[in-house]
Amino acid sequence: MPAFINLLFPRGKTCAWCGRPLDRGLFCPHCHRELYSWQEKYLPCWYCGRLLAPGRGTVCRQCREELPPFRRARAVGAYRGILKELIWAFKYQGRRSLAAPLGQLLAGVVVRELGPARPHLVIPVPLTAARLQARTFNQAELLARALGRELGLAVSGQALARVRETAPQVGLSRRERWQNLAGAFQVQEPALVKGHSLLLVDDVMTTGATAAACTGALLAAGAAGVEVVTLATGIDSIANISP
Amino acid sequence: MNKGSSYRQPVFCWQGPLYLVEGEGGWRVGLSHNPGLDQTFWLQRGYRQFEVLTPPLPLGAAVFLHDLVAGYLATGGQRVTRGWIMEMLARGRARMGLEPWTRVEKVAAQPLPPPPAGELALVRNTLAGRVLWREELARALAERRLGVNTPLEDLCHWLYLEGEIKLLPGVSYDPDGRPRCRRCGQSTGLLKVNCAACSREDCLLCEGCLAMGQSRRCRPLYARPWPFAAASPARPAAVVRPRFRFDLTPAQADAYREVEGFASQDKEKECLLWAACGAGKTEVAYGAIAAALARGRKVLYACPRKEVIRELHPRLQAVWPGLQIRALYGGSQGKYGEADLILATTHQALRFYRRFDLVILDEVDAFPLAGDPMLYYAVERARREQGQTLWLTATPPPEMVARVRKGKLAVIYLPARYHGHPLPEPEFVREPFLGPPGTGSLPRSMVNCIKTTLGTGLQLLLFVPAVSLVEGVAAWLLGSWPGQAPGGAWVRGCHAAHPRREEIIAAFRRGEFPVLVTTTVMERGVTIPRLNVLVLYAEEGRVFTASTLVQIAGRAGRSAAYPTGRVWFIGRHLSPAIAEAARQIREFNRLARRRGYLTR
Repeated sequence: MPAFINLLFPRGKTCAWCGRPLDRGLFCPHCHRELYSWQEKYLPCWYCGRLLAPGRGTVCRQCREELPPFRRARAVGAYRGILKELIWAFKYQGRRSLAAPLGQLLAGVVVRELGPARPHLVIPVPLTAARLQARTFNQAELLARALGRELGLAVSGQALARVRETAPQVGLSRRERWQNLAGAFQVQEPALVKGHSLLLVDDVMTTGATAAACTGALLAAGAAGVEVVTLATGIDSIANISP
Repeated sequence: MNKGSSYRQPVFCWQGPLYLVEGEGGWRVGLSHNPGLDQTFWLQRGYRQFEVLTPPLPLGAAVFLHDLVAGYLATGGQRVTRGWIMEMLARGRARMGLEPWTRVEKVAAQPLPPPPAGELALVRNTLAGRVLWREELARALAERRLGVNTPLEDLCHWLYLEGEIKLLPGVSYDPDGRPRCRRCGQSTGLLKVNCAACSREDCLLCEGCLAMGQSRRCRPLYARPWPFAAASPARPAAVVRPRFRFDLTPAQADAYREVEGFASQDKEKECLLWAACGAGKTEVAYGAIAAALARGRKVLYACPRKEVIRELHPRLQAVWPGLQIRALYGGSQGKYGEADLILATTHQALRFYRRFDLVILDEVDAFPLAGDPMLYYAVERARREQGQTLWLTATPPPEMVARVRKGKLAVIYLPARYHGHPLPEPEFVREPFLGPPGTGSLPRSMVNCIKTTLGTGLQLLLFVPAVSLVEGVAAWLLGSWPGQAPGGAWVRGCHAAHPRREEIIAAFRRGEFPVLVTTTVMERGVTIPRLNVLVLYAEEGRVFTASTLVQIAGRAGRSAAYPTGRVWFIGRHLSPAIAEAARQIREFNRLARRRGYLTR
């Protein structure tokens, strides 16, 4: 059989999303291209990582008005296309076998975007007990553990807890969202975070309010600094700047 | 799954101990999420001693241990001792790989009042012929505008104690301790997960059927077979007779009579309707539906593809205007109502349990049913044990063909199309030096096929074995033959993930360009009146199986406007699949000619 046919149909490894055969990596060239297609059109905001169209500077309008409490946030890509479908299958359908490949994507972001300094501890954004009971797993914790395994970092799912459910955030301004979430998170084990640099992990960052509230609780407990990594983030367009 | 609703609702997690009750009849072992209910149940039946044997266990583990001890109690006779029962539990626990439990809280629960009989009846009726999660049962009751005050899990447990329904764990263990999903029947695709519902780190989750919700070791499925006594009375002939808008061809009429005969008597449990592509097998299957309905039987028409079910629903409603027909597919409204005839995707069939007397399974070889044991399991379980299955296909899988050849599976042939012309037989063209697209000039055979097609004003579907070849072959043709059609490309490509797939296919159907390069995504459901078909790299057996090639060849010659469409297979060598496909098509033509179905 000619070699080029075998190249087209290698046996064994398959794409973590579409199941097409592949030689190396996690995703086939088609899915990989779609995952990172945003890089041709957007740049991340230097602070919050939201995606900005070229010519709109390096800092988004929200961060120009008020800087977030975390040092920086970065994401694998925009919340659309394959990434959105992956998150949907992982989070809402409960396809937990996706945790490992998604954790590897996050690890790639940490290595590429957040520099050589290793965080002391990886902390997932927690769920309330009721939400955890309903979903049966915390998607951020599964991602954090996969990321920790990939980079050899310590992970704590207990350091931070969500102590109250909050009202829906739809229609609130950024400041109002931050206020809505104030006090929703509490550090359970201050000794784990005091004086250390931390990496906060979540699946999606929409306005950054949840990440900011978690960061606020961690800084109040004495953390030296917090960086955030998520699978997906928003695109900074005029429509979603104004509340 | 609607992310806005169901995922936020708590999912019932079954945890409970095993217990032992002793009465005049000896010992009985039981399991319960609410032992107070069981105390009441057994007290009513004269059992006095009630002893808790284990700590609360997830349902899958509890059922495994229960079955082990119950089997021992059934066969042990007088030799049964309490010590042996504990020994059996310890062995069973080790077989499942569970940690030993150290302390068992032996405080007996207080007896609870039995659930109201009226509410039990509602659940009993709603669950008839279905296998549902507690949450699905709640939705089924809500859909029927029924309400109960007692927790559903308690009502179901009481019915389980009465032997009316089955209590199945989402994931349970085979007798050898190997886990298996009881919803989809698979033992692969199971993950050991940390589950916040049962607070265990070794819960088992099935990823094989996640699209239908989480199946876990700690989640109960409630199943009740359709009660035989509740079989509907025979329906009047005027209601069940299909109203055809055209006459059946002689081939269809013969096959119709045969399938009618199959469903009118219970001689054979299964039968294959093996039809030529485009011969009208669905209309023939109406015979089986009508015969079963006339006997008051319950009928399921299942197909792996949602589009087929959606398209079939209005067709069947027009054929049987007096019957209530319900179509179930992902996104359909009202999943739990009753109907005379149910059309469902094979995924939706996972919610039925021993309900149907006749299951008609269409396109058994089509994605995703082909090679997916889960979907066979679904339709098998949906059928009553004494029920019948009618398989409809143009390309049965090899194991089914083997059973036909050995005489182990009854078969009804429908070998001719309505226009009376034979099926176009494929012409194999060997091109030993055929290289990747773009290397050198187009092979002469391909040039001839294209010239023949374009010269007579026809269209050509050109199949390639991989998505990555679609654009390459299209560019190869355009590069070799740039000026075929003024005002746009004369060749276009499309595949399953193509962003403009529907648009390109629609333009091809309208005849806006003559050549479409595509993958096996176009092997079914495509009828273009004046069409030739070419398969390039046809020897690639991993993609072009005999079934696929028969389906592809079946795209040509479907219409009376051009019944003699041509089919070319171009490859480096003759593969077994090409030979088998050509043989099957020739065999059908011979059979059709022998039976006098061919008029030309």
